[in-house]
Amino acid sequence: MRLLVVEDDPDLSAQLAEALRDAGYAVDLTRDGEEAEFLGETEPYDAVVLDLGLPGVDGMTILERWRDSGRSMPVLILTARDRWSDKVAGIDAGADDYLAKPFRVEELLARLRALIRRSGGFASPVIEIGPISIDTRSSRVTVDGAAVKLTGQEYRLLAYMAHNLGKVVSRTELTEHLYDQDFDLDSNTIEVFVGRLRRKLGADVIETVRGLGYRMLRPDDADSR
Amino acid sequence: MPVTAKPRSLASRLVIAAILWIAAALAVGGLLIAALFRDSVERNFDARLTVHVDSLIAVSRYDDSGRLVLSRTLPEPRFDLPYSGWYWQISDLRGVVLIRSRSLWDQTLDLSAPGEQGGMRTAEVAGPEGATLRARFVDVTLPEMPPHAPPVRFAVAADRAELKGELRPFNLALMWSLGALGLGLVVAVVLQVRVGLQPLRRVRSALADIREGRTERMEGEWPSEVQPLVSELDSLLEHNAAVLDRARTHVGNLAHALKTPLAVLGNEASRRKGPRADAIERQVDTMRRWVDHYLTRARAAATGAVLGARTPVAPVIGDLRRTLMRIHSGRRLEIVAREEGTPGAFRGERQDLEEMIGNLLDNACKWAASRVDVTTARRDGEVVITIDDDGAGLPAAQHGEAIGRGRRLDETSPGSGLGLAIVSDIAALYGGKLQLAESPSGGLRAVLMLPVAAGPD
Repeated sequence: MRLLVVEDDPDLSAQLAEALRDAGYAVDLTRDGEEAEFLGETEPYDAVVLDLGLPGVDGMTILERWRDSGRSMPVLILTARDRWSDKVAGIDAGADDYLAKPFRVEELLARLRALIRRSGGFASPVIEIGPISIDTRSSRVTVDGAAVKLTGQEYRLLAYMAHNLGKVVSRTELTEHLYDQDFDLDSNTIEVFVGRLRRKLGADVIETVRGLGYRMLRPDDADSR
Repeated sequence: MPVTAKPRSLASRLVIAAILWIAAALAVGGLLIAALFRDSVERNFDARLTVHVDSLIAVSRYDDSGRLVLSRTLPEPRFDLPYSGWYWQISDLRGVVLIRSRSLWDQTLDLSAPGEQGGMRTAEVAGPEGATLRARFVDVTLPEMPPHAPPVRFAVAADRAELKGELRPFNLALMWSLGALGLGLVVAVVLQVRVGLQPLRRVRSALADIREGRTERMEGEWPSEVQPLVSELDSLLEHNAAVLDRARTHVGNLAHALKTPLAVLGNEASRRKGPRADAIERQVDTMRRWVDHYLTRARAAATGAVLGARTPVAPVIGDLRRTLMRIHSGRRLEIVAREEGTPGAFRGERQDLEEMIGNLLDNACKWAASRVDVTTARRDGEVVITIDDDGAGLPAAQHGEAIGRGRRLDETSPGSGLGLAIVSDIAALYGGKLQLAESPSGGLRAVLMLPVAAGPD
């Protein structure tokens, strides 16, 4: 899962980056409104944490421009302006959630998890796919009730595939979503992680679509083929 | 308008001054007219007496025996009626009666009072039956009298009561008509004062309108004497609003500037375990609460005093409902808004209403299992907003605590306790209140009672 964090305070920005990376997200940081607008227009983020008070273009304007150009990734507004009129304006501009400063990192993480889950169409924090159960709150995975130990990279790959259930996901897309902007990755790495997941969770958990990428299917969908 | 109740009112001062002046002017005028009339009536009375004296002289003559007789009777019949009030008498200068009218019977007019000699004279004399008479008399020497004979005194007298009888009806009529005139003048003055002071009462009602939230400015057409006052009041209102706005902006900027550093400090502390980190975290939390606490109160206090604010409730609930539905779109949560009758508008600022309903709705959404109900109604001059959720509810014993203190009742759902306390404080600033109860749908019921703004719904 790749996130964009737009925050102009360097200390807070660094803290957020650290906490989010610890939680298993790939994080891009920017302090500048125009750069944020550009990144949001061009990069495939799974969610954005957006501060409203920015140098250059302000957060609300950026959000409106993203929505006008059809960008639909979930956006969580992070701001010191906590009046309800501000919240209404933020949501009306296209935000999905609103967190007022000061906040606890745990709360931000919980809200982001919920946002990403919702954008994938899951209502519950626990995603069930056949025998596999993924608890997005604790990053724990079980198969038929038995806990499976996954590395951070493996979990992120599994979670991204699960959130895009039934869709074909290319290697490039996976790379973009699992790693930061400036991370240069050998595309074979993805193949290695997919192989490890198949070994731990079952061979048919992720299928390879030749020439296009990978796809995760519900078991009944797979059976009907 | 009370004329006598408040001696300090402009109206009563004007009216009382007018009454005193009118009373004095009418009294002096009345006395003068009465005196002039009395003078004229007396002169007329005297003239009639004089005519009779002249007639008496004309008909008097000496007969052959040298006695004074009347050649014919005087045309006034009352001279022949005993004690009729009209008398004549002819006497010598010592007062010995030579001949007298029949009406005098055996009485004598005592004209011996000292007075200048010669010509027609006037005197007040005692008459029959205790009456006071007014007499005209003259000393004349008749041509037929023997030479060197002393002159004879011819006198005619009439009862003063006749004079009074003429004066009384006039004086009575004069008193009544002057009284009526005075009353009319007072009524006119009262009306004039009322009409004249009317613009001042309009100023008062315009100010009341502003205080009640029906208008924001006085404006309109005013008499030229009142116009400067109205303009000054309008400028004052404008200035007041600008000062409040500036103060609110400063407070907001300060609080917002503190929030990012607090977030950094708090997060830094929460990442490092240990007693020191815990202490910092606690202090940061306390600071955060104080910032929120005073920021909200400063904003609400600033707006609570603003004149002329008026906010319809329904659009605010609509906005908040849309926002919260979006924030909670991951849950199957329903927010149902309903109005009973025409609830009208809240007498206060939109931001404050948003803050109160927003916090209550947010709280209800956090705890609700699937449904939040918002009902707006108008009851006894208040807008009553009832918010029900179907969550776990709150034991009745904790209701007061939840409103009274900014302490979180449940740390897992951030900010709930504080939110309720702030709602209660803002409501109190506007003279409203917040009550908690058990909801029929199982959860918590929050009832917010706020002053209604007068004016069209």
